[in-house]
Amino acid sequence: MESTPTKRGTKMKPTTPRWLRLVAAMLALAVIAAACGNDDDGDGPAAPAEQAAPEATAAAPEATDGATAPEPTEAPDASEGGEPVDEPADRGEVTIGVLVPLTGELGEFGKIVADAIEFGVGEINVAGGTVCGDIRTVVADTGGDPETGIREATNMIESEGAIAILGPTSGIMVALVDLAKREEVVIMSPYAGTITLNELGGDFVYRTVSSDLGDGAASGLWLSTRGYGSVAFMVQNEESTISPAEVARTEVEEAGIDITDFVVYNPGQPSYQAELTSVLASDPDAIFLAGGQESGVTLIKEAVAGGFDGEWLFTADLAVPEIFDAVGAELINDKAFVEFADADPSLPEFISFEERYPGAGAPFAPNSFDMVTLVALSLEASGQCDGAGINSVIRGVSDGGTPVSTFAEGRDALASGDDINYEGASGPLVFDPSGTVSGAYTIQQAQNGEWVNVEFYPASTFVE
Amino acid sequence: MLFLQYLTAGVVTGCFLILATIGFSLTRQVEGFLNIAHAELLGIGAFATWWLNASQGWHILIAGPAAVVFTALIGLGIARTIYDPIRSRGPAVLLITSTGVAFVIGGVIDALVGTGIRTLDIGLATSYKPFGIRITDYQILVVALAAAVSVSLALFLNRTRIGLAIRARAVNPELAASRGVDVATTSRVTWLLSSGLAGLAGVMLAVIATLTTDLPFAQILQILAVAILAGLGSLYTVIASGLIIGIAMDVSVYWIPAGYRPLVAFSIVIIVLLFRSEGLAGRRAA
Repeated sequence: MESTPTKRGTKMKPTTPRWLRLVAAMLALAVIAAACGNDDDGDGPAAPAEQAAPEATAAAPEATDGATAPEPTEAPDASEGGEPVDEPADRGEVTIGVLVPLTGELGEFGKIVADAIEFGVGEINVAGGTVCGDIRTVVADTGGDPETGIREATNMIESEGAIAILGPTSGIMVALVDLAKREEVVIMSPYAGTITLNELGGDFVYRTVSSDLGDGAASGLWLSTRGYGSVAFMVQNEESTISPAEVARTEVEEAGIDITDFVVYNPGQPSYQAELTSVLASDPDAIFLAGGQESGVTLIKEAVAGGFDGEWLFTADLAVPEIFDAVGAELINDKAFVEFADADPSLPEFISFEERYPGAGAPFAPNSFDMVTLVALSLEASGQCDGAGINSVIRGVSDGGTPVSTFAEGRDALASGDDINYEGASGPLVFDPSGTVSGAYTIQQAQNGEWVNVEFYPASTFVE
Repeated sequence: MLFLQYLTAGVVTGCFLILATIGFSLTRQVEGFLNIAHAELLGIGAFATWWLNASQGWHILIAGPAAVVFTALIGLGIARTIYDPIRSRGPAVLLITSTGVAFVIGGVIDALVGTGIRTLDIGLATSYKPFGIRITDYQILVVALAAAVSVSLALFLNRTRIGLAIRARAVNPELAASRGVDVATTSRVTWLLSSGLAGLAGVMLAVIATLTTDLPFAQILQILAVAILAGLGSLYTVIASGLIIGIAMDVSVYWIPAGYRPLVAFSIVIIVLLFRSEGLAGRRAA
């Protein structure tokens, strides 16, 4: 459909002046070039991978030489799903898909995830690669669109031979569940909190972040203990925001706090004045805003312009520095808080990761690093170079056994015949039946135009 | 009082819809097809304003008009290079082509603007409370622009020679051509006007909203709702339709959850079309 107008555009009526035809042709070429350029940023499966993953290639210059790939360190333990090793075609590399939103509203998060994965791949390849060879990544941009996600994932599996796909957002994870199970390819996300995966996940479908329900519990805990008399809820009309907001509402209600409004609004509007009317009339002590950046910024501005002077609690989408420029730091300094799933900064594994990787503090960076390290260790543990092998042992490598925090440590421990327990940079990674880990949460406050940690809820806070 | 506050919000929403739809309806009446790319023209206006204002430091009063002119020229260029050569293929081909054009424009904006949110370098809206009803200066601006555009367009179409020629062509293009109406000129003026109006709506989108590259195209459903409700009648029905849908959507929040606003808009469209299949305007009129 996209090619139709440009093809037609070159076939002009004879009455059109020659100069205009030339201009039209140049314009059409420019438009096509720009559109193709956009596709290359993300949609194309192979080319962008090479562009987006220079570290992996640079870190493993010998990756394509089968002779440099390490031999299997030891026959895998049958109890860990060991089967005869599948010899990859060139015996030199194993492919992992990185399927993230590089464009659209969540593009900044997608880049964080892709970069952290590439850092992990670099470490693994520098350490000698996996039993299946060095890791090669193919990167594709979903733009946040499930249809694009399915198309790119299919390309990764069928054309690129990906055995695992890392990084999809909630909606795309859900859309990929059937494909993952049918093709026996592991999919894993560092930020997909959707509660739908609480039902669908667990077999080929994993995440290194807790469910959205955990965010709701953390938000509810914060709102309940802040001393508010009344709270209004502004919730974007999506499952990923409604579900945690419902959990938070229950907690706030149980604390005896008056909930003045629970407004579920549609994003993509120029203005949210109608949605704010009742909220501003009630003048609550705080507004819990569970929404995206586009709707969130407009809502904050309109609420403040409308006279709201209370405190805010935002959800993770607003936990970015850009919010201060977009909203105006003076409007939210000292009054706004943000809640998001976070690594425990006191853990030695996180401190070590932070020392090695400058971007460790970015949202979901540790969770992303953990994904690729888990996949690599699962390849080592199973000795199988495919998704089924990873799926068969991934729970085992992160629960019980000798604690390890890097790929090299884990590989050496496995070579010594030990069971391993990968302690992630994002925290303990014990998968529940739905393939979800329990999480820790941070509350940050807007102070002088930046987010500053003010509260940390370790995972143990929410264990009943 | 709370009800009046919802009503005020609805009037403002309706006025924005008028700005966003009036150019779309003009194209539909004169050129004879639904230009789906109209929503992305809003995007061109919005991001041109953002670029000039936030990146280049132009004052909004200069950046806004410049963005309108830029969008008008881009719209004319697209019409001349893409739509004109296939005009004879009929409205269905033009509609499908315009969908493709929308994707191309969206892709170019994506490539040029990048990810994340964008806002103008303008101050926070100032609120006023006449008779206890809260309204901001930006909301007043939207209402004033919608009124000014409606009056100006009505005067242009009724009092100027080219305006009358456009109306004649909208009613019967063949007869208008046979009576000496310059089809090419009326077409170019129509495209300049409709695209410029899209640009103006884009400027207001940039002023009141938080921009993402997805936001402009997200307005297409409401634009279609207003245009369909208005029917192929005079532009006055577009004004009425915009206000009806805007007020209905926002006032409905007084009784039902805000998530159902789009449902309210399209329910009105369906109900009106059940009883008046050609929209509010009834039979085609100039």
